[in-house]
Amino acid sequence: MATAALEFLPAPLRSFRLKTKQQELLLRVSTLALIYVLAFIVRLFSVLRYESMIHEFDPYFNYRTTLFLTENGYSEFWNWFDFESWYPLGRVVGGTLFPGLMVTAALLYRFLRALSFAVHIREVCVLTAPFFAANTTLVAYAFGREIWDSGAGIVAAALIAICPGYISRSVAGSYDNEGVAIFALLLTFYLFVRAVNTGSLAWSLASAFGYFYMVSAWGGYVFIINLLPLYVLVLLVTGRYSMRLYVAYNCMYVLGMLLAMQIRFVGFQHVQSGEHMAAMGVFFLLQVFFFLDWVKYMLNDARLFKSFLRITLTCAITVGTLALVVGTASGYISPWTGRFYSLLDPTYAKDHIPIIASVSEHQPTAWSSFMFDFQILLFLFPAGLYFCFKRLSDATIFIVMYGLTSMYFAGVMVRLILVAAPAVCLISAIAASATIKNLTTLIRTKSKSPQASSGKTTGSKAAAKGAVDQSLPFQHNAAIALLLGAFYLLSRYAIHCTWVTSEAYSSPSIVLAARGHNGGRVIFDDYREAYYWLRQNTPPDAKIMSWWDYGYQITAMGNRTVIVDNNTWNNTHIATVGRAMSSYEDEAYEIMQSLDVNYVLVVFGGVTGYSSDDINKFLWMVRIGGGVFPVIKEPDYLVNGEYRVDKGAAPKMLNCLMYKLCYYRFGELTTEYGKPPGYDRVRGVEIGNKDIKLEYLEEAFTTSNWIVRIYKVKPPKNRS
Amino acid sequence: MAPRSDHAAGSAAAAAAAAAAQAHGSEFDSIDPLFHVLRVLPFSFLRPPRTRLKLPSNLALPSPMTVFSLILLTYFAVVSGLVYDVIVEPPGIGSAQDPATGAVRPVVFLPGRVNGQYIIEGLSSGFMFVLGGVGIILLDLAADRNRPRSVRVSFGGAGAVAVVIAYAMAMLFIRIKIPGYLWPDPLPDLSASRVSILDMFPITWHYTGVCNVPIRGDNSFITE
Repeated sequence: MATAALEFLPAPLRSFRLKTKQQELLLRVSTLALIYVLAFIVRLFSVLRYESMIHEFDPYFNYRTTLFLTENGYSEFWNWFDFESWYPLGRVVGGTLFPGLMVTAALLYRFLRALSFAVHIREVCVLTAPFFAANTTLVAYAFGREIWDSGAGIVAAALIAICPGYISRSVAGSYDNEGVAIFALLLTFYLFVRAVNTGSLAWSLASAFGYFYMVSAWGGYVFIINLLPLYVLVLLVTGRYSMRLYVAYNCMYVLGMLLAMQIRFVGFQHVQSGEHMAAMGVFFLLQVFFFLDWVKYMLNDARLFKSFLRITLTCAITVGTLALVVGTASGYISPWTGRFYSLLDPTYAKDHIPIIASVSEHQPTAWSSFMFDFQILLFLFPAGLYFCFKRLSDATIFIVMYGLTSMYFAGVMVRLILVAAPAVCLISAIAASATIKNLTTLIRTKSKSPQASSGKTTGSKAAAKGAVDQSLPFQHNAAIALLLGAFYLLSRYAIHCTWVTSEAYSSPSIVLAARGHNGGRVIFDDYREAYYWLRQNTPPDAKIMSWWDYGYQITAMGNRTVIVDNNTWNNTHIATVGRAMSSYEDEAYEIMQSLDVNYVLVVFGGVTGYSSDDINKFLWMVRIGGGVFPVIKEPDYLVNGEYRVDKGAAPKMLNCLMYKLCYYRFGELTTEYGKPPGYDRVRGVEIGNKDIKLEYLEEAFTTSNWIVRIYKVKPPKNRS
Repeated sequence: MAPRSDHAAGSAAAAAAAAAAQAHGSEFDSIDPLFHVLRVLPFSFLRPPRTRLKLPSNLALPSPMTVFSLILLTYFAVVSGLVYDVIVEPPGIGSAQDPATGAVRPVVFLPGRVNGQYIIEGLSSGFMFVLGGVGIILLDLAADRNRPRSVRVSFGGAGAVAVVIAYAMAMLFIRIKIPGYLWPDPLPDLSASRVSILDMFPITWHYTGVCNVPIRGDNSFITE
């Protein structure tokens, strides 16, 4: 039909008529180019609404380190000891971070500068995540093509370009490890599956370097180093051992392990940590398999080989178990760390590690979070698993395993929906592509039949071949209707993703927005106001005490030393700050003197109704402080198990430092029409203690909407 | 360590096999000097034990479709928020008191938060997702040319109906759960314990809602 239309074109244009293969190539390349641009653009909502700034808390640390890297060079960065955080302990930055993200951004910055684009490093940092998300779509296309066919690859690229589960952590401004790490994860998996499919040493080498990039980028590399051995084990059990698998896994494991040891933060964990032992065990098991295979080939005798097999397997298993037991008992192999153990046993963190349990993104996942982040992909995922099971091969077994393990972990922790997103997109793409292919085949077979009538086939025998024609009644119409339905579902997916990105995941969190009573948007920029006040009005060696959430932002924007920050590596130090916040003012003053604190910063939402403030987080301060200092008891702050701040609150609560600092002079303020002064809009009550007098601190600064309040610690009196 | 002992065990077994083979008269010469040493030194008087280890012969791998049905059940469990149910232990269904009559009404969907659920709402939503998946599988089974026509028609019809129902119900559920779904309004603070919608306020602050959804990285207060 297309060729018939082209007959009517004038002669010069007819030379542009493409053959089908070229048409297909053009279509594919242009679709991928559009998907690439789409993946970049859809993440730019917050840049257009607010400005090009770094979001959240963790990205501020990454930004500060990248700034340091570009200013001082790689050697200084690798050996950097940061004295501005965790006063008085300091932090060895070079050995406690994953450098992949910073090095990538610095390289991009250098490259752009070399092309004489005079960009600021902050712009590069803000746009690194969308750029790598766009690259991920290309890798997803290649991976889909490897597993199924190029149609599934294109659908996978399109799905992952707008999948909200991925967008949530790779939006512009979210300069965090995951933005780069998901690209590295998918790249490593793609290269490894390609290596297993081809058996080529070159692809295995490439996958080892992909793994190295992943290790340098994110702590989630543990997922790769455990999934690949599990995959090899499944292949061995299902009888798919082959030379290709042997070459791919050996090369990738040995080289990948050696490369991973170059990252100081990882160090020797690949041979010392319990989380990495599965890979080593499977490595040795693979050697045993290869050895048995070789002996079988040499022996040519089934009975002898059977006895040899039994003996070898017994010996191998015994020796392996013995080595593991000796290593664990002697302490050389460290047990699973709490962070990863809580993935296997989700109840562990709640009882033992309150810091991990308190973070909202570590909570288990409810169905609505899945729906929010995946929508119709949740329907396509089981269908895609079915298609993979129909056509089992090395590659489809891998994607099934990746999908299942990552979905389980996503169920345990909300944050890990990000890791599951590429697998879900790929498997759903297989289902979508196969279903649409079925439907279009049903439509097209009708047009090949010689008795082509308006829509009905006779449904019994085809005269041409003499075979029984099992085609369905109204096949043509039904298939067209179902195809339109499929396109409708995909369009609803696109609408959902755009809405979710725009409304839920594009908030910078450091700038708050609200809707005014006339419908206009009101912006609260209190955080940056406070940090810049600190930067401009405090002495350069001032030390700021605040809860650990704000540490990175204070060091990055306020440029001052903090006591604790988001790295949370020292629980006792955080507990000291928690104890200070929950004690009476005189006890807290002693603690602050011992830590050399000059200023205290608290976040208070009672005036604006901002509910993520320090009074709502206060019970966590009590719990963490009480976990180390038994003098702090949580029941002291509760009344009948209830947490209150009004007149009926516990006396310890009404007089602790956090209460005083948050509600100082708040009793004079009318916040809402018709309510008494001192009405807390978050808790919804009038506060109990309005007449607050501070003895050892004085108010230094309160932002325009009272969200951030800064107090200066007075020096000790000259006369006692 | 392990490969070397494997090698020793292997050569010991090879030596035993060679001894047995020679007893049976088959040629088993080797150019391996270690093999000959071992044949003489320990294994002229040592005999490897006859181990009676045997896997049961009827142990076979399950068929792919069996595994798939087990996986579908696991998927149902995970996507209904089973881990959430086990850890947070929400009630099976919530309750609210009607302010006018004082009667207690059941509340099926936990309001105010994206990441929270009651047990029954989780299970029903998970069932809808699995129903949609099964519908698409039925559509693929209907496209198979080798089945009888009536079976294909019923599969196709059932598959289409299943997908339509599952999608409609899932959309309904999410609309009930998140009232502002697909409206061009910023969402209220969904991950904190309270929905902080502010009232209109004429005196100094003119705002009606804080649009801040700190889904990640932020230490929001968790209600227990």
